[in-house]
Amino acid sequence: MNKYTVINPHSEFKVINTHVHNIDGIAKVTGRATYTFDVKLPNMLYGKILRSPHPHAKILKIDYSRAMELPGVMGVVTGKEDTLGIKQGIWRRYQDLCDEQVLPVDKVRYIGEPVAAVAAITEEIAEKALDYIDVEYEVLPAVYEPLDAIKKEAPEIHEGFERNINVTRHIEWGDVEAAFEEADYIREDWFKCGGQAHMCMETRAAVSSYTPDGKLTIYHSNQSPYYMQGLMAGVLGMREGDIRVISTYVGGGFGGKFELDGAIFCSAVLSRKLFRPVKIVFTREEDFIATKRRTPMFYYVRTGVKKDGTFCAREAKVFTNGGAYTGMGATALYLTGFFHSFPYRWKAYRYDGYRVYTNTLPSTSMRGFGAPQAMFCSEQQIEWIAADLGLDPIDMRRKNSHHEGYEVPGQATIASCGIDQCYDEIRKWINSKGKLPANRAIGISACGFMSGGIFNWFDTPYSFSSAVVTINQDGTVELYVGAQEIGQGSNTTLAIICAETLGVKIEDIKVHSGDTDHCPPDLGAWGSRQTLMAGNAVKMAAEDAKKQLLEFAYAQSGYNIVYDLDIKDRWVHAIARPERGYDYGELVKKAIRGKDGQKIVGRGYYTPHRKGMISPAYSYMLQGVEVEVDEETGKIKLVDSMTAHDCGQPINHLGLIGQLEGAFSMAAGYGYLEYMPYEDGKLMNPNLVDYKMIRATEMPPANIAEIDTYEPEGPYGAKEAGEGLTNPTAAAIGNALFHRFGIQMKECPIRPEMILNALKEKKEKEKEKKGKK
Amino acid sequence: MINDFNYLRPGTLKEALAMYEEHDDCKVICGGQSLLIVMRQGMIAPENLLDIKRIKELDYIKFDKKEGLRIGATTTHRSIEKSDVVKKNYPVLVSMENKLASIQVRNWGTIGGNIAHADPAGDPAPVLIALKANIKVGSAKGDRTMPLEDFFVDYFETVLTKGELVLEIQVPPPEPKTGAAYQKFNLLESDMGVVAAAASVTLDGNGKCKDARIVLGNAGATPRRVKRAEELLVGKALKESLFAEAGKIASEDCEPVADIHASEEHRRHLLGVLTKRMLKQAWEQAKA
Repeated sequence: MNKYTVINPHSEFKVINTHVHNIDGIAKVTGRATYTFDVKLPNMLYGKILRSPHPHAKILKIDYSRAMELPGVMGVVTGKEDTLGIKQGIWRRYQDLCDEQVLPVDKVRYIGEPVAAVAAITEEIAEKALDYIDVEYEVLPAVYEPLDAIKKEAPEIHEGFERNINVTRHIEWGDVEAAFEEADYIREDWFKCGGQAHMCMETRAAVSSYTPDGKLTIYHSNQSPYYMQGLMAGVLGMREGDIRVISTYVGGGFGGKFELDGAIFCSAVLSRKLFRPVKIVFTREEDFIATKRRTPMFYYVRTGVKKDGTFCAREAKVFTNGGAYTGMGATALYLTGFFHSFPYRWKAYRYDGYRVYTNTLPSTSMRGFGAPQAMFCSEQQIEWIAADLGLDPIDMRRKNSHHEGYEVPGQATIASCGIDQCYDEIRKWINSKGKLPANRAIGISACGFMSGGIFNWFDTPYSFSSAVVTINQDGTVELYVGAQEIGQGSNTTLAIICAETLGVKIEDIKVHSGDTDHCPPDLGAWGSRQTLMAGNAVKMAAEDAKKQLLEFAYAQSGYNIVYDLDIKDRWVHAIARPERGYDYGELVKKAIRGKDGQKIVGRGYYTPHRKGMISPAYSYMLQGVEVEVDEETGKIKLVDSMTAHDCGQPINHLGLIGQLEGAFSMAAGYGYLEYMPYEDGKLMNPNLVDYKMIRATEMPPANIAEIDTYEPEGPYGAKEAGEGLTNPTAAAIGNALFHRFGIQMKECPIRPEMILNALKEKKEKEKEKKGKK
Repeated sequence: MINDFNYLRPGTLKEALAMYEEHDDCKVICGGQSLLIVMRQGMIAPENLLDIKRIKELDYIKFDKKEGLRIGATTTHRSIEKSDVVKKNYPVLVSMENKLASIQVRNWGTIGGNIAHADPAGDPAPVLIALKANIKVGSAKGDRTMPLEDFFVDYFETVLTKGELVLEIQVPPPEPKTGAAYQKFNLLESDMGVVAAAASVTLDGNGKCKDARIVLGNAGATPRRVKRAEELLVGKALKESLFAEAGKIASEDCEPVADIHASEEHRRHLLGVLTKRMLKQAWEQAKA
């Protein structure tokens, strides 16, 4: 059985942290929720994309005349003939990082890259038509690994990027050399971290409808309708306001759905050419080979500590496999370096990151945003250091951890931090286990994560989050947010904040999201930003509306102005005299009459100011796993797990549990299962038979202890949950193997063969040692 | 995307055999759990599909102490898994079925379809061969029965000729003092095996090994017996060192192919480990 403990739950709340079911739940379980996949418009055509079979090639000629002869084919588009050839990217403030045309004009850089798109009256005809498009390529030499691509003689993937280095990032504080001088013990290691597919249940999908009045409506599965609107306006040469993006229900994102994909771009270009709605839904294989993935990384880590375990200095050098385009890779490159220092106080720290172009699937953000890789390396090395020094690994971590008020030099100030209690909780869990069977061991790992990014590489002129609350005459509430529900439960979380703030019930709130025409702009669902940023905007909007109500209430009450009025649970009352009050519905009717019949409208917004370089707030957590290993076969089984977690004030109790369990399973998959092998630029397992993910039977109990802290910048004290927990688990699995066998796993996912090889190597070394003696 | 095809749905076995004889480029579909995957991937695009799912004549599990077990080709994995006579007399079949994919797949997938698909990683074949099963196949022209181990020719290839259907699996009655065990190596419970091993051991009155069978799954183009290891065991008083030796032979007498899931070396190693373990398990059952 899973255990869920909330330590010292706040009790004054009526809605927050209570048992609220997902407000989209009924629509989803009854099949009424309309995903992009379900959208069908009159006169709609179906699109398919022709993809490059070459990892690197010039497009010399595309002849689609034979395809056009096929009955039912309505049109074909190519980069050269039908697009402006604009190089775009989500880092649109930085022109050199806008490097992807989606439908390239003259060169392809990875297998699976779109080359042409066709629209036909059925999906079958569209697919068949792909065989009748003749493309002449000039195949170019290709390179697949970052350490090969930075060599002088490597082929040039993008013009003007010397040694294929796409982005570099540098983070440094303190005197690194001097701090290493102070260390009694220095250890260095190289690690290799794999990629990972986002694997959303809903593959990329879009229905674009361009009408002769010059307006474009796009139904699209994404994490940020506002970004899609902005990016599409850029590539099509249109005004943002002439484009409407609708994403009412989205079947998962995980960091892979806030850049332009082939589905949205090609469907829009086809629709504009043909003046008919065009639908493109990716197959699972397309989702594997032609979207983006978690960034594979080579990590060099050098760490210096004192004999007593005090951390002195760390330096890291990272080479990431960027694949063919930038995507969100530049942010992942920075964040991996930043979170590699977490959650510890380093006297001096230096990070150099190099993102290298290769002729493979582009890499980008994915749940954890560079931190899972960082933690796989950091948290294992720390465990090995503790062992080398004969120190308790929990005590050593605790001694060096962040605390409230700590400043990460030049980067961040930690306003709330519950990691100390997390250590206690994880220790308690380990102790409760007693002596483990011989084939089992426990590994732990610590980390922290951000609550939304401060950076504005998208160059938005809008607030990062906005919300509008309107109250109807019957007391029901319309909450308009640009925050995007992608299955993570943000609509529910924001409804809870709205209901709590206004003093109404959860069923009074109707959330409107996922529509750029009707919802205020918001950067969307990525970087764990919505609970804090959109949450603050919603709280402010609800407070604004409530204030307008209470003004009327006050005017009527006749109370001395020293009294405070409030609404809780639909009960309007003086706080000092809660028993004497009246129904909120009554107040709403009066207030609307008093406003000459206008609805009550509250507005709220949030943009972080003076909160450092990265994020306004940080969550902290410890992950423990109990791992069973078959020494003869190398098979790993997760037997039990424990998460000690500080996300400030939990808002959405059930949502939080779901998010933590989901993050844990994804993290465990990254640790020992999910594996993306390439051969000559071709992904070898683009299907769910060969790409292994945790299933229900592999999922161990996910025990959770939620630490009670209060984050001053978060709404009601809340901060990140659900992304950060993707970070620690791979290292925790590695640490369990270290404790059981003394082997050091420097590559993830940790596969059975690697375990057996490590055991063999260890035996041989021991033999050698004995021989010498 | 699945190609267009003619859909043929016979009502009786006779009709099915006649239709199958008549149509060229025809694939048989029953549960569709293997076929639809390769069709969806575009690996095959048959012109005709013969659906035998509704032929009730082939959906049965019969047991007789003298004759042994007979399973009709369209019997689902789930029926076998849930069958009391199978559970009582051939528990290894139940434990094998238990881990064959998911319940949803077992509810649809059939024993005949699994065998006829001839995927060397299929679970039932190694176990059935270890149990000395026969297979009955038939066409409009007549039936024939053969040992199941002679049925497989190559990857996804069998001895079936045009117009021939799998009709029945026949397992001889369980011998006294016999144990049988099967295990596959995989990372996900119920997933396809990276490799697998089945073993059966029969002891004589003195507790010595009277008979043994070792069958490897996904260790080559077809399920394969490790006869050299079987011979090693027969006539001997069994002990763990012999199982280890048999495992070593198994890891040598196989032709596993490397892919992204495991190297050839790792596969050989795993086959050795599984053979050793399954022999021991089978032996312990036989002793009990």
